[in-house]
Amino acid sequence: MAIVKAEKTPARAAPISESSLIGWMRMHLFSSTFNSILTVISLYIIYITVFGVWKWGVTDAVWVAGNRRECFNISINGACWAGVITWLDNIFYGRYPREDLWRVNLGGLLLFIWMAPLWLPRVKAKVFIGLTTVFLYPFLAGYLFAGGEKGIFMQVMITAAIVCLLGNTTHSIIGLFTGRSLPEFLIRLLGKNAASEKSQRNILLGILVLSFAVVYIWQMGWSVEVVPWTKWGGLFLTLVISGVGIASALPGGIILALGRRSKLPVVRVLSTAFIELFRSVPLITVLFMATTMFPLFMPEGFVLNKLVQVIIAVCLFNACYMAETVRAGLQAIPKGQFEGAHTIGLGYVGTMSLVVMPQALKHMIPNIVGSFIGLLKDTTLVSIIGLFDILGMLRSISRDTPWLGLHKEPLIFGAALFFLICFGMSKYSRHLEVKLSTGNKH
Amino acid sequence: MKLQTLLASVAAVAAVSIAGATVASAQSTLDIVKKRGHLRCQVGQPSPGYYNLDANGNWYGLDVANCQAVAAAIFGDKTKLEIQSVSSQMRFTALANGESDMLSRTATWTMSRDTQLGLDFLQPNFYDGQGFTVRKDSGITSALQMKGAKVCVLTGTTTELNLADFSRVNNLNISAVTFEDFNVRDETYLNGGCDSTTGDKSSMAGNLAAFPVPSDHIILPETISKEPLAPAVRHGDSQWRDIVTWVVFAMINAEELGVTSANVDDMRANSDNVNIRRMLGVEGALHEGLGLNKDWAYNVIKQVGNYGENYEAYMGSGKLGIGIPRAGSANALWTDGGLMYSPPMR
Amino acid sequence: MAVSDGPKKTEHIKPIEKFEFFQDERVRSVFYQLLTAAIVGWAVWYLISTTAHNLEVRGMSSGFGFLNVEAGFDTDFKLVEYVPGIGTYGDIFIIGVLNTLYISALAIVASTVLGFAIGVLRLSSNWLVSKVALAYVEIFRNTPLLIQIIFWYTGIFSLLPKIRQSYDLSGGTEFVLLNNRGLYMAWPVPGDLLWMTGVAFIVAVIAVVIFRRWNRKRQDATGQVFPTFMPSAALIIFLPGIVFAITGSPLGWDLPKLEGFNFVGGATVPPAFLALLVALSIYHAAHLAESVRAGILSVNRGQRDAALAIGLRQNRVFSLVVIPQAMPAIVPPMISLWMNVVKNSSLAIAIGYPDLVAVFMQTSLNQAGRAIEIVGMTMAFYMFVSLTISGLLNIYNKRVQLVER
Repeated sequence: MAIVKAEKTPARAAPISESSLIGWMRMHLFSSTFNSILTVISLYIIYITVFGVWKWGVTDAVWVAGNRRECFNISINGACWAGVITWLDNIFYGRYPREDLWRVNLGGLLLFIWMAPLWLPRVKAKVFIGLTTVFLYPFLAGYLFAGGEKGIFMQVMITAAIVCLLGNTTHSIIGLFTGRSLPEFLIRLLGKNAASEKSQRNILLGILVLSFAVVYIWQMGWSVEVVPWTKWGGLFLTLVISGVGIASALPGGIILALGRRSKLPVVRVLSTAFIELFRSVPLITVLFMATTMFPLFMPEGFVLNKLVQVIIAVCLFNACYMAETVRAGLQAIPKGQFEGAHTIGLGYVGTMSLVVMPQALKHMIPNIVGSFIGLLKDTTLVSIIGLFDILGMLRSISRDTPWLGLHKEPLIFGAALFFLICFGMSKYSRHLEVKLSTGNKH
Repeated sequence: MKLQTLLASVAAVAAVSIAGATVASAQSTLDIVKKRGHLRCQVGQPSPGYYNLDANGNWYGLDVANCQAVAAAIFGDKTKLEIQSVSSQMRFTALANGESDMLSRTATWTMSRDTQLGLDFLQPNFYDGQGFTVRKDSGITSALQMKGAKVCVLTGTTTELNLADFSRVNNLNISAVTFEDFNVRDETYLNGGCDSTTGDKSSMAGNLAAFPVPSDHIILPETISKEPLAPAVRHGDSQWRDIVTWVVFAMINAEELGVTSANVDDMRANSDNVNIRRMLGVEGALHEGLGLNKDWAYNVIKQVGNYGENYEAYMGSGKLGIGIPRAGSANALWTDGGLMYSPPMR
Repeated sequence: MAVSDGPKKTEHIKPIEKFEFFQDERVRSVFYQLLTAAIVGWAVWYLISTTAHNLEVRGMSSGFGFLNVEAGFDTDFKLVEYVPGIGTYGDIFIIGVLNTLYISALAIVASTVLGFAIGVLRLSSNWLVSKVALAYVEIFRNTPLLIQIIFWYTGIFSLLPKIRQSYDLSGGTEFVLLNNRGLYMAWPVPGDLLWMTGVAFIVAVIAVVIFRRWNRKRQDATGQVFPTFMPSAALIIFLPGIVFAITGSPLGWDLPKLEGFNFVGGATVPPAFLALLVALSIYHAAHLAESVRAGILSVNRGQRDAALAIGLRQNRVFSLVVIPQAMPAIVPPMISLWMNVVKNSSLAIAIGYPDLVAVFMQTSLNQAGRAIEIVGMTMAFYMFVSLTISGLLNIYNKRVQLVER
């Protein structure tokens, strides 16, 4: 008697109140009187801001003009983007010689090439690539940016950097296609994969020395013109200061954080005092300290230029913030990890470098990106002490005779630029956080 | 007593003594500059007319021209120059501790600065004075009518003090609104936040020219202060002082003699005016006293131009000029009733 | 399982007899500490000696005597009496400290209120509202504060009306006027018997506290809820109000009046102050909003469902269940945010508000030299403030922990 229905009952369509646009609006915008009022207020705010900005910044704006007077003649109530556009080189590169801009661009490109493998899943030895970015890339980029005579030390470091860059790149390309590492690939290529480990190592060492020698000889004939630091500026200078700041803050921060967690009272007290000192004062006071007090600290006849003073200040300041990030990362490591490492006979250095730090660093990556965003924004403070960083340049536009008084547009452009960079990075760091935390579930 | 004097002139202590100690012991400034291969000339944060960055990152302006002229006199090449842009708070310290070789910026020559800060002001290259801008429709025609008015002024400058003095002396009860940045000062004024702005007349003329409708505003006739803007060097190095002084004089002299960057070659070859011949190093040995090459003045005029040319280019009606009329002002040549006067070069 | 025979076990294992000096943990610890102390000591000694040498060579005097020397400059915003030429650098320091604390305190209050509001709006069920709040948070978090400060400084006053069309924020009574010259407020002029109103207010507050205690007890005992809000509010408003009226309204107002070009009377704040206050509040509110949102989201959804299930109304669920549990997650970031407000107020220097850094570390330092003393005093002030604030945080954390466990 039972009636068996052979096929599934088709799902009923969602009620009209749920699926239609009006239904959606009723649910999400006008669910109650209070909500409706909020919606109306929001719409009004959006109208005021978005349309006001749109009218001023786009429809009424002037994009091409020779000077501000021409802008006024075309449209008196709109933005005058022509000035910002004319100044773009200054905003991005500062006073860097225009015929040498390729050096800055190349430096940026190299950094990208250097770090790109970190994002490629099949490439191995990411830690090595990361470390060389911090320790070798700055020499190559530094020379590229500053130019001039190369000392013997610089020559060696530049050579090492170039060899490393070549190695990294081929390694990643090979890794991308075959999933192998560069040494494995080379050994296979030479058909020596049957040879003993020792002779394999010797072959690789030989290749390394050979390429080092070739590159060294090549770079001896390569040099670029000096560009004094006073010509650095704009976004380029901002990125240099914050890049150096973050790269040197990481080692400094790790040392300080370990010092703060140390069992040795003297070390702990000193590290804590140092960290707390710099964390409790504003960056601008540290910058002032650098420019007024460093000259007194130096032995006679030794003058630091302002850029170096600023970079030292930023590094000290940021290392202390990084120390707290690292400490938080260390605290997240369960005690069992320390105990386990001790049990297998690792000492302090072994425990930290092989077991604890790698785990802690992984936790810290989003926070490090966060610090970098913070630092990038804070670097605009160097304009107060007279460096022509991006903000300094943006504020100079209004003094240039053709664009006299043009000050709002540059600031808005700068804000938008920072927004793009910082928002992009913070989105990425949030994405990383999610990715890392799912990988960490037990 | 001595201690008190020291304490009273605290500002001087730092600056003077650095100068005395570190520089006097070293070689002369000219030697240092020559050895370094370029001149370090200090200007301020960009300021219309005097020193600005252009869209290609080059410095230009009346004071920058001064720097270039000194570099041209020493090296025969105006590009052997590093322009240092220093905030006004650090300006005298940077000169005193040897970071800068000379100051060519809008520093007003005052007695206390000249005598207490360990520096020497030289021949002014611009005579300025403080004035007021008002809206035409306000009906104000004299600064004395501004009883109880609100005046926008830049902070931390002598302008602010002059305004206070002017208000007190004339019983005007003016209230000052201070700003850090002239853009904000002008923006506030334009939107009605102040009844008037005050500042050096030269820069105000430049700023006014950039207002949306310049003809709506006027600069009042009163000039309430004297602002001789002069280059400065460290106290105690007479040779260096002479060089900078005479470079400025040479530019003024050249204008008086009608030598310009365009005709200087011709003048050097063909002129039989003995004053010109002496100045350009064809005759006599004026250069020896300065320790420079024979054609120092020729290089200055050839590469940088005479005073009038530079005034036209940056202060006057040139393409990069901010449009301050020169005729009848203190900045005209003495032959035209101004104050620009060079001692004879002989 | 063999834990109990631990002590015995040590007897079995023979400790290594050979005493290796550098392998001994205590020796090593002392050694490392001495080494660190020696390095730091050397560095400090080196810095001090070169500095002393430099000071001597340059003939710069040192010491705190300059604090008693007259400072020749003026500031355009000060909370204490000061006359340029008579006031000393010590007075300038105090002016700077007070100005910093004043703007920070106001910005902290404003950003906290605004931050909570935006944080709650972020979680609003209203799609549009939550998106607007999101845009607010992202825009202001991702642009440098310095640009924002300069922007408000240059931008805010062009948005405001001219002096004759001032916004009246007090609804036609001309008590608070806003125009592009700044904010003008009526300033109270207290009369003779005003203290009695104050006493009445204090009495009312004490009465309310006692009343609420009693009510809580009664609720615990009987379960009956007595409405407390309305009676309390009535008490606090009416008691002082009646006393005020009886004593003959002993309070006058100094109203801002348009005279000639300007408003005279009342109290006014300079544009730089307003711009800084707006910028600091908006920037930090955006950061706080994220903490508030995260804090509220950290409360388990089940808590809310359970609270609803036992019949609590929506707003009581929020105030009795969600917020108390979210607070431990919100307060620590909020307090460190307050610290940031104090520190970031130093950016005032860019727009000329005379805070501590601007008047002391910049102007005074240029006038008086004495870099070491001035930098030291400024940093000591900021350290003192942040240690105080983190002290607060520690007290709070302890209390929260006690309540939880």
